[in-house]
Amino acid sequence: MFRRKTRTALTVFGITIGIFAFTVMGSMAEKINLLVSGGTKYYADKVTVSGSDSLFISAPLDIHKKPQIEKVDGVSAVSASVYTSLSEKFDAISFGPPASIVGGERAIEEKYETFKITYSAGRALKDDDNGKVTVGSDLVKKLSAKVGSTVKVRGQNYEVVGVMNKTLTAPDNTVVMALADAQKIYFGELPEIVRASSNPETVVNGFTVYVKSGVDPNQLAEKINKEVPDIVANGPKAFQDQIANATGIFNAILFGVALISLIVGGLSVINTMTMSISERTREIGIKKAIGAKTRHIMSEYLTEAALIGLFGGLLGWGLGALTVLVINSATEESGNVIFLLSARISIFAICFAVILGVIAGFYPAYHAVKINIVKAIREQ
Amino acid sequence: MAAADTILKLDNVMKIYILGGRKNAKKAQKAIQKLQKQYEKLSSKGQNAPAAAVAKTLRQAQLLFAQEKYEASYRAVTGKGLKVRRRDRGAVVHALNGVSLDIKAGDLMAVMGPSGSGKSTLLNMLGQLDQPTAGQIFLKSQNVALIKRRHLPEIRSKELGFVFQAFNLVPTLTALENVMLPLKYSGIHLGQRRQMAKDALVQVGLSDRLNHRSNELSGGQQQRVAIARSVVNSPSIVFGDELTGELDTKMTADVMGLVKKLNRQGQTFVIVTHNPEVAKVCRRIIYMKDGRIEKELKK
Repeated sequence: MFRRKTRTALTVFGITIGIFAFTVMGSMAEKINLLVSGGTKYYADKVTVSGSDSLFISAPLDIHKKPQIEKVDGVSAVSASVYTSLSEKFDAISFGPPASIVGGERAIEEKYETFKITYSAGRALKDDDNGKVTVGSDLVKKLSAKVGSTVKVRGQNYEVVGVMNKTLTAPDNTVVMALADAQKIYFGELPEIVRASSNPETVVNGFTVYVKSGVDPNQLAEKINKEVPDIVANGPKAFQDQIANATGIFNAILFGVALISLIVGGLSVINTMTMSISERTREIGIKKAIGAKTRHIMSEYLTEAALIGLFGGLLGWGLGALTVLVINSATEESGNVIFLLSARISIFAICFAVILGVIAGFYPAYHAVKINIVKAIREQ
Repeated sequence: MAAADTILKLDNVMKIYILGGRKNAKKAQKAIQKLQKQYEKLSSKGQNAPAAAVAKTLRQAQLLFAQEKYEASYRAVTGKGLKVRRRDRGAVVHALNGVSLDIKAGDLMAVMGPSGSGKSTLLNMLGQLDQPTAGQIFLKSQNVALIKRRHLPEIRSKELGFVFQAFNLVPTLTALENVMLPLKYSGIHLGQRRQMAKDALVQVGLSDRLNHRSNELSGGQQQRVAIARSVVNSPSIVFGDELTGELDTKMTADVMGLVKKLNRQGQTFVIVTHNPEVAKVCRRIIYMKDGRIEKELKK
């Protein structure tokens, strides 16, 4: 393979492109899948209540709806919450959930929430922590946050009391504050006409309903919708329907990239190996004449094909990893991390390249084994 | 009559066993023992005439067996009735037309003849590079047809050596690595094969060229490496196909001197050549014409 360096390099480059695309797209899909699996886990045992059909953007609700929801049979507890964008303008272009502000009833959440968040520094927020926040790991850089420092959110200063550990899902991109603080921000961004009919101390835009043991959250959501007017309750199925299924598209893209790299890389390996074998027909004949067995010839050419795959794989993975690193560090400032280059994607990309090389090299290697010794030796 | 039939059958079976090569030697011995018992049985019953007939067959079988065993130990390769038919542009060509020859251990034989006489074809058949259309080949008295095809590479790496006209070294490998190749295919571990290859290269006078690639060696040196590669495994026989065809007179003498030296050490060589100077070095010369052995000269 080193005899024809340019040809080998071009073949390696063919695989490099495929594996590069696979690594980058795979890292993107990995991030999406993790966000979705985090969301699936979060929504799995609860019902979310909002003022509109959307799971994330809700019409304003009044906190006085809470007792009505609590009365529904099967409800264990209800926590009022406010969820809004971190920036004043809602991020139109965002990968995964946009950077957000979340306010909630911490005491209830702490008691009933099964999706536990841990802290790399400081502590969790308490209900009476007005003017204080905890910050998600992806927003640390953007807000220059550290425990004890002050961060500016929507023009107001807040003291940072905790920095969350990475969860690889939505909380990483979230600033958590007291419900009252979040209500003020949310009230401020409501249209004039809505504000006129709302109260800043009672306005919220969602409730998290914790379910009694043994109760199906999807059935409970239906029950809440029936019994409590002017709200929309969603169980875990709604999340699945709205978000999780969308990941299928990313997985399909990833599969498409893998397939293209398989075809392009595989064909170039077959071409290179076939050319190489036809140039070395005489050499193969000599080797067979002096005792090379099928396995010797096969292993020689399959090793060569596997090495081409390995070099292409390593190079493609390296370029992909570099791209992921550069883009992630560029977007980290804005709290919008796009890629997650996991160990499994890395291992799969390189193994895939090697296996691709071996499979593509199999036909030429088999052809080499079948070469007639006498004819091969006579070949000039 | 029945007893005579049995004797005849035993006789034929024994002949097949005895002449069938080393693998059948045990069967031949058993058949002889059976004949011995039959003789004793007939004698004890007082059936003298059939006993005498069996005794005669027994003596013949024992003699044949002993003779075959003795000759087999000196036989490197034997070809019997070798025929090769090929189709060339629709016409059937008889590349070999019933060639039989016996190459004894220690022979230095030249095969001469005009182009197309079947010299190289014969070499390819005897060297297990190709299969004859008809006939049998015995390698150290073992019928090659009875060897499974998958074991042929092992036979080629351990029992047979080849030297070709165009040297045919692997260009990306050094002289040492080229000589190590058949040892690698024989399954000899790295340290031992390195030493064996070094010894072989020293023997052919290339101790100072171990790490040179073929493009860094002269034609004569390349052919010496090829000879070292062919003898490194101490094969039963080395086949040379026009091994001096691309060498000048001085290098030819040089290479044939080496062949003669290795032959004196016991290595068997069969060399196909057009060159009478090469044939002169050999003790046996067979001349081929139209796929047959025309004549043989022995010195």
